[in-house]
Amino acid sequence: MEFTALFLAVTVVLLAGWLGPRVAALALFAVTLIACVATYLHHATDALKLSF
Amino acid sequence: MSRSLAITVNALGLYGIALVLAAAFAAQLLLKELPCPLCLLQRIQFALLAIGPILNIRHGPRPSHYALSLLTAAAGAAFAMRQVLLHIMPGDPGYGSALFGYHYYTWAFIGFAVAIILIAAMLLFDAQFKEDAGATPLPLGGFARVAVWLVIALTALNVLSTVLECGFAACPDNPVEYELLKRGR
Repeated sequence: MEFTALFLAVTVVLLAGWLGPRVAALALFAVTLIACVATYLHHATDALKLSF
Repeated sequence: MSRSLAITVNALGLYGIALVLAAAFAAQLLLKELPCPLCLLQRIQFALLAIGPILNIRHGPRPSHYALSLLTAAAGAAFAMRQVLLHIMPGDPGYGSALFGYHYYTWAFIGFAVAIILIAAMLLFDAQFKEDAGATPLPLGGFARVAVWLVIALTALNVLSTVLECGFAACPDNPVEYELLKRGR
């Protein structure tokens, strides 16, 4: 579910970069990148046999 | 490097990103190999790499635009390296099939490293930034527009694909079938 949200967020960031004001794209980018790193760190603490 | 040439190179970069996203889809659909959560995170970083070129094409080349893609590539390389290290023990078969001897996450690390090098190389050309204050309209041709919409479309397709794969719960660590399609049977 969180990965669907991240893909959706990236789609919005790219659309904002192309169609919207530059400042909005930069702000959305920052939020999305932080969300990606947070997702990674959240899963990185899991004990898993494969991948995460 | 002139501003118009830099924009063309940025459009080429977008086509490169589109190629990576399309190849990931091809592996998913043709080989029926669903991406794991960490694989999805790397795919997300590849899509997010496009923000720099898109802003460069839309607003003109700026070092800050390249910096956004650099930050994304650094994060993507870290995520890919994490997966490489998870499978580094001797005897570990790795996750998924290998392509030309390397698994996808190894290729992803190489891809992010190449992106970092190419972005750094682009930053060497100061002339593309000097024209920024000129406020002249940017020559946006079909080549660049198609590149932008291609990457956006492939990213949007990934939204759909991930919904099908994970459903509305946490994605399985080792996905073998689409969760939403399984529920529909």
